[in-house]
Amino acid sequence: MRPRHLFSIALLLVWAVTGAGCRDAGIAAEATRIDGQHPSGEPTVALPNKGGSFKFAVLGDFGIAEQTQYELADQMAKLRQRFKYEIVVLVGDNLYGSERPQDFQTKFEIPYKPLLDAGVKFYASLGNHDAREQRYYKLFNMDGKLYYTFSPKSDIRFFVLESTYPVPEQIEWADKELKASGNNWKIVYFHHPLYSSGERHGSDLRLREVLEPLFVKYNVSVVLTGHDHFYERLKPQKEIAYFVVGSGGQLRKGNIDRGTGLTARGFDTDLVFMAAEIAGDEMYFNAISRTGQVVDAGVVTRRKTKP
Amino acid sequence: MCARRGGVATLAAAIVLVLGACGRETVPPPPPATSASPASAPPTERVVGPLSQEDARALATMNDRLKQYVELHVKLEESLPKLPKDATPLQIDKNQRMLEKLVREARATAKPGDIFTPEAQPVIKRLLATVFGGPDGKQLKSSIMDENTVVPATIKLTVNARYPDVVPLTSVPPQVLQTLPKLTEDLEYRFVGDWLILLDTHAHVVADYIDDALPK
Repeated sequence: MRPRHLFSIALLLVWAVTGAGCRDAGIAAEATRIDGQHPSGEPTVALPNKGGSFKFAVLGDFGIAEQTQYELADQMAKLRQRFKYEIVVLVGDNLYGSERPQDFQTKFEIPYKPLLDAGVKFYASLGNHDAREQRYYKLFNMDGKLYYTFSPKSDIRFFVLESTYPVPEQIEWADKELKASGNNWKIVYFHHPLYSSGERHGSDLRLREVLEPLFVKYNVSVVLTGHDHFYERLKPQKEIAYFVVGSGGQLRKGNIDRGTGLTARGFDTDLVFMAAEIAGDEMYFNAISRTGQVVDAGVVTRRKTKP
Repeated sequence: MCARRGGVATLAAAIVLVLGACGRETVPPPPPATSASPASAPPTERVVGPLSQEDARALATMNDRLKQYVELHVKLEESLPKLPKDATPLQIDKNQRMLEKLVREARATAKPGDIFTPEAQPVIKRLLATVFGGPDGKQLKSSIMDENTVVPATIKLTVNARYPDVVPLTSVPPQVLQTLPKLTEDLEYRFVGDWLILLDTHAHVVADYIDDALPK
């Protein structure tokens, strides 16, 4: 049997065994498929890749300046050659340890240079390892703010929160901004997960108590977080799709507690970033590992205002 | 903090007056004149449960110390080039370390209790005990302890010293922030071990701390 066929079969086996194809309420993973026609080591595009759609990537807990981070960054660059995502949203813990100028280089600017050179913009949120001054860093596009909002396309708006120190003013701001937004797609991201099966951290229940009612009330469709060092897609919670993508550099192998009942799909054996594409009322997503394997895929349908 | 000695004397006199007044079961005298309007200080608007006048006074005094600190911080920060919103890492680092140097020089004699005054510390501890003693207390503490594995003594946490770069910031749940006296954006409450620290977020300097603040 030819090596390419073996590769395709292996991918299909992974697909079947991991359960990536199972259906959850609101998430139809069957809409995507593994395509084994690409050379081994390159990420498989199992996204529609439509013209005119909005494409972005998600990365978290990454700035460690180690070989593994660079290898995942290489996969992000390879994917960009065929899937022209415009922005990368960062779910926090952007730089671990010291934050001297050389750290910004080795932990961010060098590994993601191909993307930066191609004009991809990074929009950061801050995690518990990040100094507050990162908000002034030009390449994080935070405009000097700890929490902010931006709309890369008319029907899409991102809301970026600071979850390590959620002062009442921020919660009031989030309430006001979410309420005022008329965008079809409301996507919120920040560092601490409201839902997670992490044995190390897990769900932040106190933060959930404050934020979840806003997300439900104002039709947020997707919430992206990090902090736990793995990839997890949660079963939809109150019709909202939650993802933990804290696997951009740091990895906590075997840390997903399979007994929480929250996991729709979890991957905790290698680094992962997420690629997503919004076309109309659907957001397609792939979770792609350091070796280019698609470890999760599916579609989220946006929430709509109930009559 | 230059008027600290005078402030301590005033405070001591006030405590004597208060104790004496309590003994006679009369209304305590007005709070010491630590600022123009200590009675209307905002902390009382944000704490859980009613505060005694004595506790309110203690927090008002702490609030005055906070104001003094922030005034100093702002003055020092304004003496530096303003950091643009699209700064380079070099600009960020240079600016931050210059501010750290200025703050530490200006408060060279700072010591524990300068801001978290001895009178305010038990009030803060009681407020925290109220929050952590509630039905959600265990989860609140769990959120704080999430990555809070540091023993302060092992990292030599001291007032007016740089916050250690290698120690991640503890998250502080919104319920705790709603309980503690409000701070401006220049300062944040964080926990290191069971110490509550007051962190100058721009200068990366520990402005003050309360040890043993997190209830066991």
